Amino acid sequence: MRKAGEKVMLPALTVLCLLCGLRARINVYEAFVQGAKSGFLTLVQILPALTAILTATALLRETGLMESVQQAMAPFFSALHLPEEAAGVLLLRPLSGSASVAAVSEVIARTGADSRAARFCCVVSGASETVFFTASLYFSGIKRTRYAVGTALFAYVCGVWAAAMLV
Amino acid sequence: MLLVGIIYASATGQGDAAQRALFSGGAEAVQLALSLCGAYAFFGGLLGVLRASGTADALAKWIEKPLGKLFRFERGEEKALADISLNLSANMLGMGGAATSAGLSAMKTMREVNGERASDAMILFLVINTSSVQLFPATMVALRAQAGAAHAADIVLPTLLSTAWATLCGIGACRWCARRGKKSCCLR
Repeated sequence: MRKAGEKVMLPALTVLCLLCGLRARINVYEAFVQGAKSGFLTLVQILPALTAILTATALLRETGLMESVQQAMAPFFSALHLPEEAAGVLLLRPLSGSASVAAVSEVIARTGADSRAARFCCVVSGASETVFFTASLYFSGIKRTRYAVGTALFAYVCGVWAAAMLV
Repeated sequence: MLLVGIIYASATGQGDAAQRALFSGGAEAVQLALSLCGAYAFFGGLLGVLRASGTADALAKWIEKPLGKLFRFERGEEKALADISLNLSANMLGMGGAATSAGLSAMKTMREVNGERASDAMILFLVINTSSVQLFPATMVALRAQAGAAHAADIVLPTLLSTAWATLCGIGACRWCARRGKKSCCLR
């Protein structure tokens, strides 16, 4: 039942979007093309960051540093029921969106798209935001942030925990 | 990260590995971007249709009332409510740009009331934003699809549940801190 639902999800979503457009009596094709253009632009915008992060992770991987860090953290991760390959993603996610996309693609390339680690990383990335970036953007000019960052990180940790339970 | 990697490489005598990595990283990035291009543009297109048909505004109107109950505004802050609901509904649909500008304008309205000190409502708004309210994780689905996942979209449900849980926990924590904060704050 669930699997069937997942198979039709994307087509159903597409139909829903198009119906929304038709109901509002807009030029659906024109709107789609405009949106697709901005999709390309987003990709171009994150490409420089992708290059930097993928080069850095390739470096860490080739030299074996990543493996030793992962091994060091493995007992901690397995105690929390987290896949150990996800360490990089978990650390990068609150800092930078494009960097964590790169890190997720790394995990997918290494462990396969259907591995638990890859699915976990995808869920975590989809379910969280760049806490520090968003906070600095929205709270620029504010000196007393009080409990803001603490609660935001707490929510992030709760999301990660939920993802570990669900995946 | 780059520096640490290079220093580690030279310390362990693996100059060749470092060199290999420095060149392969850039190529990997371009490959990834190219393979994501189609899916990204397609989702962008769907978003464009949603944006042009005014779905975000409709959603914003719909959630404005419950939001007004959730936020405990201080005097003068309630003017930000329309922007807050627009920000959250744009975020739900994955329209980052529209969401950010509405969010910034909401924060500006509230800052004018509060000066350099963040109010409870401002913090709650930030925390809801940072715990992500996106309904469909398009980028992650696209990533999985291009890597050949059996069911690319089967992460949607767990993602929704995790994000809902994170948001609930964030709201709860904010409430708790706000109540305590009347006298002393839990984090400064």
